[in-house]
Amino acid sequence: MSEATHIHPGSVGHEVAHDDHHHGHHEQSFITKYIFSQDHKTIGKQFLITGIIWAIVGGLFSVLFRLQLGFPGQSFPILETFFGHWAKGGTIQPEFYYALVTMHGTVLVFFVLTAGLSGTFANLLIPLQVGARDMASPFMNMLSYWFFFMASIVMISSLFIQTGPASGGWTVYPPLSALGQASDGSKLGMDLWIVAMALFVVSSLLGGLNYIATILNMRTKGMSMTRLPLTIWALFFTAVLGVLSFPVLLSGLILLLFDRNLGTSFYLSDIVVAGEVLPNEGGSAILFQHLFWFLGHPEVYIILLPAMGMVSEILSVNSRKPIFGYMAMLGSLFAIAILAFLVWAHHMFVTGLNPFLGSVFVLLTLLIAVPSAIKVFNWLTTLWRGNIRLFPSTLFAIGFVSLFISGGLTGIFLGNSTIDIHLHDTMFVVAHFHIVMGVASMFGMFAGVYHWFPKMFGRYLNATLGYVHFWVTMIGSYLIFWPMHYEGLAGMPRRYLDKSIWKSFNQFGDLDKMITVVSIIVFAVQLMFVFNFFYSIFKGRKVTSTNPWGANTLEWTTPINPGHGNWEGEIPEVHRWAYDYGKDGREFIPQTEPVGANESKH
Amino acid sequence: MQHPAFEEVSYHHHTDDAEFKKRVRKTTILLSVITVIELGIGLAIYTIHKGENPSELLVLMFKGMVCILSLAKAYYIVSVFMHLGDEIRNMIMTIVVPLLLFIWFIAAFIIDGNSYKNLRNRYDKHFQESTTPKGHHKAAEEKPAEPAKSEKQ
Amino acid sequence: MATTATAHQTKWWSGGKSPFNLEYGKLMMWYFLMSDAFTFGAFLISYGSIRFSQNFWPDPNVVFNAFPGAGHQNLPLAFVSVMTFILIISSVTMVLAVHAGHKGDRAGVIKWLAWTIVGGLAFLGCQAWEWHHLITGEHAVLLDGQIQMVGQTTTVNPWGELAEPAVVTDALKNSSPQILAQIVHDQDHSHTWKELAGMSKDQLLGMINSAELHVRKTGPVAFGGYFYGITGFHGFHVFSGVIINIVMLIMAQKGVFDRRGHYLMIEKTGLYWHFVDLVWVFVFLCFYLI
Repeated sequence: MSEATHIHPGSVGHEVAHDDHHHGHHEQSFITKYIFSQDHKTIGKQFLITGIIWAIVGGLFSVLFRLQLGFPGQSFPILETFFGHWAKGGTIQPEFYYALVTMHGTVLVFFVLTAGLSGTFANLLIPLQVGARDMASPFMNMLSYWFFFMASIVMISSLFIQTGPASGGWTVYPPLSALGQASDGSKLGMDLWIVAMALFVVSSLLGGLNYIATILNMRTKGMSMTRLPLTIWALFFTAVLGVLSFPVLLSGLILLLFDRNLGTSFYLSDIVVAGEVLPNEGGSAILFQHLFWFLGHPEVYIILLPAMGMVSEILSVNSRKPIFGYMAMLGSLFAIAILAFLVWAHHMFVTGLNPFLGSVFVLLTLLIAVPSAIKVFNWLTTLWRGNIRLFPSTLFAIGFVSLFISGGLTGIFLGNSTIDIHLHDTMFVVAHFHIVMGVASMFGMFAGVYHWFPKMFGRYLNATLGYVHFWVTMIGSYLIFWPMHYEGLAGMPRRYLDKSIWKSFNQFGDLDKMITVVSIIVFAVQLMFVFNFFYSIFKGRKVTSTNPWGANTLEWTTPINPGHGNWEGEIPEVHRWAYDYGKDGREFIPQTEPVGANESKH
Repeated sequence: MQHPAFEEVSYHHHTDDAEFKKRVRKTTILLSVITVIELGIGLAIYTIHKGENPSELLVLMFKGMVCILSLAKAYYIVSVFMHLGDEIRNMIMTIVVPLLLFIWFIAAFIIDGNSYKNLRNRYDKHFQESTTPKGHHKAAEEKPAEPAKSEKQ
Repeated sequence: MATTATAHQTKWWSGGKSPFNLEYGKLMMWYFLMSDAFTFGAFLISYGSIRFSQNFWPDPNVVFNAFPGAGHQNLPLAFVSVMTFILIISSVTMVLAVHAGHKGDRAGVIKWLAWTIVGGLAFLGCQAWEWHHLITGEHAVLLDGQIQMVGQTTTVNPWGELAEPAVVTDALKNSSPQILAQIVHDQDHSHTWKELAGMSKDQLLGMINSAELHVRKTGPVAFGGYFYGITGFHGFHVFSGVIINIVMLIMAQKGVFDRRGHYLMIEKTGLYWHFVDLVWVFVFLCFYLI
């Protein structure tokens, strides 16, 4: 049973990638290299670029519905030019507004912050940072991207059909989403939404299984689990969350599809639509919400955990200090992953959920504050008295921490079912989740892109544009979302097309205008980032050393533009954890360096 | 997909052919016997229901027993047929521990389903009158606000 | 040098090897099955949730009491027990196929895989018969104040409570002659359809033996949806398992695994097949036993 004797560094189960590396180059056509590529780095880039395209689309949607919210009923003739009867006379029609809101949520939550974030960085970083030539199954990895691509195509196609895309909110609650006769957005668009999401679940499953198997099985020699960078741990828990919770959404959506098309009554009971009494009886609309949020809540952490992991890594690298409390970070990630599965019904306090059951969910929900606080303190103490290098990536990482604190605190308000009675479905909720998971995760993603762009493309992003990008986005995000707390506390409902008939909300008219103007500016700055991204791929400053940031992790031991297989020659062996910064008078000690005889303990 | 098997992975399951066959035979018989017992209980429940005054407690006990027996069946299938019992302990844990999530998953859904019924019975009298079984459950009619605990059948 | 493993104390987690001594594909199969367990779990738990939200739920012994070729005899649980045994036996043959694969015994693999495929097809056949029987089987049900003959579909459930005799008597009067003729025919086969068609409504009413007539109200609609949805999803898994097994059989036949030097694919297929059996244990429990 002496397995160890069989192991040679560099042959950790990856003969094929190895071979590719040595004699695969000249045989690769454009199609196998850039389109149906099985190289995890290329697949990561595919996820990233698709995610960026989706982010532009989803962001544009938010600008459009913000126009309506800031300037209710006002005419913008250019809208009619582009959107025809959806914006008759230049005003955004109610159906259009709800379609925009729904698609904004769906696109940003699933296509940008799930696929674009964890899809990108799990693919890029897992093999590079654990020391593997590729994913466990490069083929399934490729399928994962193409299922995502197909999901994207189906979702996009739903934007162009006569009745428009799904418009019942990104949570697609029945009965609205189950009954085609209830609204235009519940017709074909809803079926396409379900199909797209089913494809998306397949994609996320294929990807997630790969990430888990790679992290467990393919670590290079010496890379024990407690030597893994925190990015990998975060991506690992993200994958576990996805593998265990997405299937529940799939089940819920299959039942919804049956309710829509086969006349079943899983979610429907006692319904009258436009004077017609429906025969459906005995279903429960709350059941769908349970199923949806059983995914929906872990989904929040699927979005947030990769950002947390990357921020931990970037803060440590750029403050030239070891991460504070590695094991505590790891433990809190684990605790968050477990709790993510136990708290779903806190999204449903006012739906008719059993109040006693709700109180248990309150308790479990508030427990999340503990690991979250541990993480925040550890980030702050990592920065504390560090030799901080304020790169754009560092700034975005610090911005993430700031947003996570601001948004996390309002989570404590909303986690209490009693306060939720007042705050539910108001702008307060919008402010909370946008700050804590929307913008915060975007910041984590930006931090990751600025930090790993040199590894992806062998060039730097323009730093000046990066600083402008950061400051405008940071200030803009707070300007957009901070006032929404006040609106929400005053009772202003979310999702409403036009609130001007309530006199008491008129005081917020100018505030809403300001929010809209700022969101247009912030959106424009994101387009500037996109320009920076694509410009720098081709024209950016070239990276000249393999380790431009002076980081310890394994990806910086590969060539500047690594081929398929990542390392020329053998995969390096790992001798220490990833956070030996500022140790024994040395700025950083890579993981590949053996522990010296006189080295102090960390 | 076309990777060779991991060289370092060793296979040390059931090298003894005869012993393995014996184990499979034993498990097969065990599974069959449990299934027969389950069927017996199912029929027992049927007979109880047909009777004049069905004891709900007895039915509930029998149902609990079937659940436990099914878990036993699942244990044998996973442990012997799927060879999970032969894997390394840590591997077993990565499979078994996430399954614990089902406890709260099941409990919360069932509790809320039951609560939904109580709410409907309280606020939707038509639902209560048209769906509450009348046959053996006269009691349910007498105190309409508080549904009897045994409407499931 | 960090991993100077000895034969007795392997440092499983130190990198450079699988911590579980498992090849990645098998690991992925296990975690895929976990994921699938949550899919089925969600279905069954939804079913439980809906069932607990109802005042009445049909007794499975009443619903599933037919057996092919046994006509109208009341044989509760008989047919489903046959299905269960088919699946258990096919699981055993799969174990033997995997075992033969371990030994590199190609003939054994082919033989046992073939039997597994037969078992899977037999199960699917049984399921097809059961579905067909439930959908087309007609039951006298009190609906909109009259008696109608309906099967178990996704929109109607004929397994409600037994209707009170007084209500049934009224409902019979409102029912169409065709329905009445059908009821008479079901109770007493001595009349031909032609005779019955010629009779008046009053004649037919006089011939119905009300004491023997079991008319039910409609039951919870979700019952049918869940039954077809979940057994259908399980059947889909069995079907895909059969397809995978057939592919494996062909590959084994062609000696693909011999060339690879191992039968790991058969092991993974085996895991999937046993999982399908495992799910049936719970489908059987939830729909037929409790």
